Amino acid sequence: MNTPAPDAAAPAALKVEDVVAGFGELTILHGVSLEVAAGKVTVLLGANGAGKTTLFRAITGLLPPRAGRISLFGEPIAGRAPHLIARAGIGHVPSGRELFPRMPVGVHLDLGARLCPPELRATLRERVLKLFPEIAGRLNQLAGTLSGGEQQMVAIARALMTNPRVLLLDEPSAGLAPKVVMSVFQALSKLQNQGMSVLLAEQSLTFGLSVAHRAYIIREGQIVLSGTPAELMADRSMVQTYLGA
Amino acid sequence: MIILQLVVNGVLLGGTYILLAQGLNLIFGVMGIVNLAHGAIITLAGLFTFWFATKTHQSPLLLLPPVFIVMLVVGGVLQRLLLEPLARLGRRGELLNLMVTFGLSYVIIETGLNLFGSQYVSLPDLQTTWAVGGLAINEALVAAGVLGALISGGLHLWLHHTESGKALMATAQNPTGAVTCGIDVRRMRGIAFAIGSALAASAGVLLILVIPLSAPTADTLTILSFVIVALGGLGDYRGAVMAAIILGLVQSAVGYYLSGDAEVVVPYLLLIVFMVVRPQGLGRATR
Amino acid sequence: MNLDARRLGRWIERRLGNPTSAAAPVPAPGRERIAIAVLAVLVLCAAVAPLFATAYVLQLATDVLTFAALAYSWNIISGCTGYLSFGQVSFFGIGAYATSVLVLRAGLPWYVGALLGSGLAGLAAALLGTVMLRLRGIMFALGMLGLARILMVVAGNWDYIGAASGLTLPAELTPIAVYLATWVAVLAAFGLNAFILHSGWGLSVTGVRDDEVAAAAIGVPTARIKVITFVMSALAPAAVGGIVAWNRSFLDPPSAFDPTLDLQVIVFALFGGIGTLWGPALGTVILVFVGEQFWAYLPDLQLALYGVLVIAVVLAFPGGIVGIANRLGWLRRRPVLAPAVFPVVARLPRPALQGGETIIEVRDLIVRFGGLIALNGVSLSIRRGEMVSIIGANGAGKTTLFNAITGFVKPSGGGVFYQGKSVSDIPAFQRARQGIARTFQIPRLMESMTVWENTLLAARYGKRADQAVDQAAWALQTVKLDGLWLEPSTKLTPGQQRRLEMARALALDPTVILLDEVMAGMTRNEQGEIRAVLRQLRGFGIAGVAGVEHVISAIADISDRMIVLDRGSKIAEGPPDAVLRDPLVIESYLGKVS
Repeated sequence: MNTPAPDAAAPAALKVEDVVAGFGELTILHGVSLEVAAGKVTVLLGANGAGKTTLFRAITGLLPPRAGRISLFGEPIAGRAPHLIARAGIGHVPSGRELFPRMPVGVHLDLGARLCPPELRATLRERVLKLFPEIAGRLNQLAGTLSGGEQQMVAIARALMTNPRVLLLDEPSAGLAPKVVMSVFQALSKLQNQGMSVLLAEQSLTFGLSVAHRAYIIREGQIVLSGTPAELMADRSMVQTYLGA
Repeated sequence: MIILQLVVNGVLLGGTYILLAQGLNLIFGVMGIVNLAHGAIITLAGLFTFWFATKTHQSPLLLLPPVFIVMLVVGGVLQRLLLEPLARLGRRGELLNLMVTFGLSYVIIETGLNLFGSQYVSLPDLQTTWAVGGLAINEALVAAGVLGALISGGLHLWLHHTESGKALMATAQNPTGAVTCGIDVRRMRGIAFAIGSALAASAGVLLILVIPLSAPTADTLTILSFVIVALGGLGDYRGAVMAAIILGLVQSAVGYYLSGDAEVVVPYLLLIVFMVVRPQGLGRATR
Repeated sequence: MNLDARRLGRWIERRLGNPTSAAAPVPAPGRERIAIAVLAVLVLCAAVAPLFATAYVLQLATDVLTFAALAYSWNIISGCTGYLSFGQVSFFGIGAYATSVLVLRAGLPWYVGALLGSGLAGLAAALLGTVMLRLRGIMFALGMLGLARILMVVAGNWDYIGAASGLTLPAELTPIAVYLATWVAVLAAFGLNAFILHSGWGLSVTGVRDDEVAAAAIGVPTARIKVITFVMSALAPAAVGGIVAWNRSFLDPPSAFDPTLDLQVIVFALFGGIGTLWGPALGTVILVFVGEQFWAYLPDLQLALYGVLVIAVVLAFPGGIVGIANRLGWLRRRPVLAPAVFPVVARLPRPALQGGETIIEVRDLIVRFGGLIALNGVSLSIRRGEMVSIIGANGAGKTTLFNAITGFVKPSGGGVFYQGKSVSDIPAFQRARQGIARTFQIPRLMESMTVWENTLLAARYGKRADQAVDQAAWALQTVKLDGLWLEPSTKLTPGQQRRLEMARALALDPTVILLDEVMAGMTRNEQGEIRAVLRQLRGFGIAGVAGVEHVISAIADISDRMIVLDRGSKIAEGPPDAVLRDPLVIESYLGKVS
């Protein structure tokens, strides 16, 4: 069951074609292809070690691919330096959030805003803080003292301040309480309504599918299934086996 | 009165030490490497200043801007050639960095030996002493102390209140996160090393006015700088200021009550004590 | 010239490989004996020849030997143990002064003086090492750098030993005596290196260098080992210091604590091959001879050229000459205690154990990291004969729980009990030795060792060599890695690495095994193999197994009990079927079905 990506007319926000990547003598991605439709949330599901984070590192430039192509709205970006890929418009919320522990929340937003055109910064900041009201009141608090959920929101806010064209989220629900996860995903829905293209990596099947427009399942470095949530949920047992959960 | 004098001397000496250490702190804080060539850079700059001042009879302070700028460039080049290849190794590369800077230190020391000889030299200008209300205040110490404070203050302002400085701090605290903000982490490393080396060279220009320097003893300055950085908490700028002043005070006291030679042992003993008692230093450690 | 640092970095990375991981297949014993015999004859000739040559040649040979002894000693602490020391000359100076004082003031014969000087240096190393080796490599390196300078100042002010003017020593030693004495020192230093690189005990040292945390987890007393090798590294330099002082008939602080001596020794060992058996010798011989030719022309550039050489070696060929030779297939290290062929071992399963007794108990465990509460009062137990799986979302506290049980994380509250006794005062390596084995979420293997040696290191404690060999062989057979036993551990696939971690845990002969996400990233076949091993564990005499897992399907049917953690607290416990149907568990972990 691998339905083709719909809407082939509009350029995909992010297109990954036959990417091979690994470290040293190890190959982790064995020819991965997927498409993130513009303005939609695409979900990448897979168990620990399946290759989700490696694919993200390939896209964001932290791990240049050995083969394959990656393009952002048609513009090839594979192999570019990571900070240049960020400037090209890939917003990245890494797993583990990677905040600056001794810097206040407000500075995180400022640092993200470096990539945003100056005239847009004020309005973008307003929008981001409306999206995450919980952190609006904590702008002077050091990031290292925040709770897990608040840290996740700061990480997403920071990435949003870079005014990205595609947002990459690596397991945003990891280690968070269900309530917090709900608010994170609510924010994601709002983002989708605002037309943001999102690639979301998730381990949990149900959380992932609840926001997805389209989902891919990755296992041992290869895409094994793809389709709409409805199609995947219809065959839940097969999906569960692939995820191993 | 004696005590007050000792305190004044100690604080001023501490100011001088701050000069020594902040360059290393910057490099360590951002790149996580201890630059074993730090003392060699300071010494070479100081020896060059001595030569310049005695040959041209101009004020050595004239050298500050050109030395700073030249060292900025040289530091950047050195980092690109020698250290950047090792940067991708992360923790594993730490010890290799030590080796490379160790080798570099000897290249610089040899240059100093060949150009300026192996003797101690110092500049007698600015060795005047002001008498202020019964205290003897050494002009050179004041100059060095004031400049040390200015540089530390400037560094702090830059790092915490400018966009480029905050980008550097972000790189120090989390390079992965910094990349997501479009920060060129590689360039940050180069900038940190360039500025750190330039600060070290500037410190050398000022230090020759205060203490005698010689090529063969260049690495005592590396050790001294490292002690201050370590005592202050590696990468912590305010902690380093505290540590420098404490060290200055202790040395001042020991030098008076014990002997001039005992003074030299103080930094090292303090380091050992701290390693046992509080390894993370006085400030809040970066690493 | 466009220097792309990234490309340069990749080029360097391809060349960077630990030379000692290029272990050779075990050579036939006969061939090996011939090689050793030939080598011994050559060395004997080299040793005897200078005795019949000119005084200049004798002096040169003595210099080479002196540096070789120093290089081998530096190699022990910096190469084999991984703690770079920039101040080994401290021990040289201590030995020089101790020997001189003992001979001059106490009238002892010089060789007795040298031995006592060695002992004194060893004592100093023990004291200093206990303080400085606890910390990171950088602190140790700088501490040693400072030590040499401080000792020079102290010696310069201490009148009893001559202060700044030094000591004049009567000419008592003949050049031949010096030469032979230096040979003894070199052989001793070489012997220590050989012992470290080829013995079972020495494997612990390599383990400390490669990964101190993993080493502790398999029972290596890392703190003790570091101090011991540091002491070893102080002995030969002190003896040689004493001999050199007498040879020169003069001793003063600058010559005793000459920092350029450190530089030269480091260059020689690095150039030859850091951490290898033949590196220090090769480096010393080559560079001293090359130096002899060169320094006549460039006397003022010696230090600078040495500095450049250090940089060049580190950036271009960090493995030194031996590293290059290894790539060509020469001078490879023989795997430690490896028999000629893999010893197939038939292990008699121990009688199956009765259930009931509590092996591990965790009571109200609280673990805090700064403001973050990782474990919030968790209580659970692992009972004899059962397999417990612990599941939960990322960040729920599963790995922290294991770290607290095995001693890698200190609890902020509550307690951990092993077989009824509290383990809060027992260091991690001791807990491993007492029978708590663990694997790591991301495999932490010793990169410069083969599969065999990784396993053997875990098997060593408390056993004779032959018993350890059997235990290691059995462990590898059980996880089906015996076919790859002589492969460098860096060449394994992720699945094979996981299995090697399991083999190490089994090699400890443990009472309980804690497996951290052992199924992650494994193919279906490999999962099946691990499951087969897990089912047999009770038969192996292992009382309890706990596994942290995400791949629930792989462990649900073989677990006796399942515990669910969520944000640092236990939210469910019971038979797997019941737990997986608990609505609370479904909501928190598996997610609501929409």
